[in-house]
Amino acid sequence: MEYDTMMMDGESLGPSVKISAADNTHVDFELSNVDLSFANSLRRVIQAEVPTIAIDLVEIEANTSVLADEFIAHRLGLIPLDSREIDQLNYTRDCDCDQSCGKCTVTLTLHAKCSSDEVMKVYARDLIVGIDRPNNHIGNPIITDPEGQGSLIAKLRKGQELKITCIAKKGIAKEHAKWAPTAAVGFEYDPHNKLHHLDLWYETDKVSEWSVGIPTIRLFPPPRLTAGYRPKSKYAEWEEPPAEGEPFDYDAVPNRFYFEVESAGMIEPDAIIQEGIKELQRKLAGLIHGLGENDDMNGDYDGPRSPDGIEGGAPWQDQGYTTPYAGAGNTSAWGGGGATAYGTTPYGNSGSAGW
Amino acid sequence: MPSATKTRDSSAEDANMEDITPPSAQPVVDSQEGGDPMEEDGEDNELGEEEEEEEPQRVRILPGSTSTAASFEFLKEGHTLGNALRYIIMKNPDVEFCAYAIPHPSEDKMNLRIQTYDTTTATAALEKGLQDLEDLCDVVSEEFWTQRENFMAAKH
Ligand SMILES: [Zn+2]
Repeated sequence: MEYDTMMMDGESLGPSVKISAADNTHVDFELSNVDLSFANSLRRVIQAEVPTIAIDLVEIEANTSVLADEFIAHRLGLIPLDSREIDQLNYTRDCDCDQSCGKCTVTLTLHAKCSSDEVMKVYARDLIVGIDRPNNHIGNPIITDPEGQGSLIAKLRKGQELKITCIAKKGIAKEHAKWAPTAAVGFEYDPHNKLHHLDLWYETDKVSEWSVGIPTIRLFPPPRLTAGYRPKSKYAEWEEPPAEGEPFDYDAVPNRFYFEVESAGMIEPDAIIQEGIKELQRKLAGLIHGLGENDDMNGDYDGPRSPDGIEGGAPWQDQGYTTPYAGAGNTSAWGGGGATAYGTTPYGNSGSAGW
Repeated sequence: MPSATKTRDSSAEDANMEDITPPSAQPVVDSQEGGDPMEEDGEDNELGEEEEEEEPQRVRILPGSTSTAASFEFLKEGHTLGNALRYIIMKNPDVEFCAYAIPHPSEDKMNLRIQTYDTTTATAALEKGLQDLEDLCDVVSEEFWTQRENFMAAKH
């Protein structure tokens, strides 16, 4: 593992994780000895790129409720569906099927008609999940309330009816927020603002205004009244406050990052982190793969293109090999076919790489 | 000059595309989309495998690059990869300079500039950076799981 490079600038211990709270829907942890850029990549990826399943296509056969079709379709999309072991489900765009099949979609049907004088409430539990799916939990509506009802979809009055078929697909929150695995991700560092990454506004006195002990109710973990440091972060207690008259250290970099991940229920919170890291690695593997395979990259590189970007009407072929890059008779490591850096990589150029 | 031939082929394709559309950011994408299916077909026929479908080329070197100072263009990547990759490449002692930019918010592209000392090449530094970042992910993932197990064990 070529990891020694990480051992510079005080990261001698390597990345470390400290979990401070965890339950079915939350995980709070501190990630330390990594760079801000990496911690932020992790935050971004768990918020936007961890795949889940959500209703994406809605076919409405009957809707005599007071709500418009598209209104109900939107509500259905936002219902959290069980997304554990999502790897077993294909993206529809990658699937071999024409439109949709059991390998890339889960079908949910809903049929409700109110026949009594009382208002009927239609809940997520009323969705019937099709049997053609990779395993027997994927796509199940998430129901966490004590009554076991799940999200409220619509209310029906006597005689009103809903008959709907939904196709749930795999997707990521970058495309639509309904695929977000997280309800919220807290991310913070440097609670005392020693690094001056923030310019905290104050009326007259910075210290008294930013660290008054306002009693606050902490909701998680166990609800408790804390003589908290609001508006200062609770993590301020975890780090040394700056000493009186301490000079500003312009070399200092953030090193401890506090995450508070709240799951929307589709995936367990700790699995979200794992999947996020996996997703980052999938990106990297794809790029390493592409880099090894693409000889074309050399084409652009030492190709007969003017370095000044003069692309106008000049014919490629005639102008070729007069640029500084190709002119040297291909004696550079980049010029000659088999001698390119790629020719010698384990990835080869035949596309037979083991990826 | 085997690579020169290859170069000419791919650029001839570029040239065709250029003839149809004016030179803007767009033809680049076109030429890649146009070029890829051919590559795919060729591979499928050669190997006869049902390899997963090849994505369009995600990285390319921008014109004007030399072996130790190159700009790479990544398609469909952003700050998530860019910043972390920039950091890990800068960690490499053979690298003199590395920076990334997203030239325009409505184009899904990320540019990465690498300048190295003579001890390595920009492409090698990029490959090492990708590999190092993957290793870092492994370490963090493992550490997180270990700590989670410990936390769960302590709780019960
Ligand atoms: Zn399918």
